[in-house]
Amino acid sequence: MERRLYFLLGDLLSNTGAGALVGLALSAVVGEAWPAVLGMVFGMVVGDVIALPAALLLSVPFGAMEVMLPVMATGMASGMVVGMLSAIGAVSGGFAAALGALVGLVVLAATYGLNAYVRAGYASTVRDRQKTR
Amino acid sequence: MDLATKRKWDNAVRGYDLMNGYGPEWRWAPSKRRLFAAMEGKVLFLAIGTGQDIQFFPPDRDIIAIDISDQMIAQARRKAERYQGRLELRPLDVHDLDYPDATFDQVFTSCTFCSVPDPVNGLRNLRRVLKPGGTIGMFEHTGSRWFPFGLMLHLMTPLTRRLGPELNRDTPSNVRQAGFVDVRVEPVYLDVVKLIHAVNPTASAGF
Repeated sequence: MERRLYFLLGDLLSNTGAGALVGLALSAVVGEAWPAVLGMVFGMVVGDVIALPAALLLSVPFGAMEVMLPVMATGMASGMVVGMLSAIGAVSGGFAAALGALVGLVVLAATYGLNAYVRAGYASTVRDRQKTR
Repeated sequence: MDLATKRKWDNAVRGYDLMNGYGPEWRWAPSKRRLFAAMEGKVLFLAIGTGQDIQFFPPDRDIIAIDISDQMIAQARRKAERYQGRLELRPLDVHDLDYPDATFDQVFTSCTFCSVPDPVNGLRNLRRVLKPGGTIGMFEHTGSRWFPFGLMLHLMTPLTRRLGPELNRDTPSNVRQAGFVDVRVEPVYLDVVKLIHAVNPTASAGF
């Protein structure tokens, strides 16, 4: 797992920021007259479209795949959540931004967990190989 | 020489260090240092690009570094001058390697086989110039089997392919197809960024 403070803060800033941006944009576009499913699918696509340039920009100071993948997943997930909620009922810009940021935090935690799982699997394989030698 | 690929990377040289030289290199520095620390004997490095990896090479090694783009090589020369060891830079396509069979003890690559147009053939060429029992050490990014990352990398590849790398390659599988053995894949970030270690079994098998 990443332990350098600069990158930990960078990951946090990137995912909460991208989530907030996507939430804010979708709350401005998706209205109560929309079917919830349409709001969700539209949010997913638009969230990714917004997240892609954000991820490219953020990758310059904070790293390539380690930023691009979670930020794009954040765009997709926060877009779905805020798009659906905006279609169900009126969502204020501030609430949508906070919700988007929260989704970004959850996505980041999930990718950290998945990364730890993948690396732990490799470490266990190496240990087993060493035992059999 | 594959002129289309050469042109693509010649064009990519402007802004390359700005886009890749800070966050990505700093982030990957510990893994790259660890991989390159194993350099021994006569080493072929593919592809040197603008030379960002030179800072991670251990000193006093004997390295020939190639790249298809002479524009990239020109950028790399300034960094190569600071390297404390023997480091020769050559503009050369991996598909046109002009070294005799079994020339090198080791081959290293860094974010290379996302871009080589015919990766299995390129890897076979590397096997040819590697001594029997010689090793290849690769720092590469690939596609992912995890949703949504695999899907996203597939969707972005038609765009990124025009400007530079493909994001959805299965490089460990290509390494096996090229005839390398003892292929060991060490994850760096998820199942996307990884170190690949493999061995050239014999000098002639598979050619």
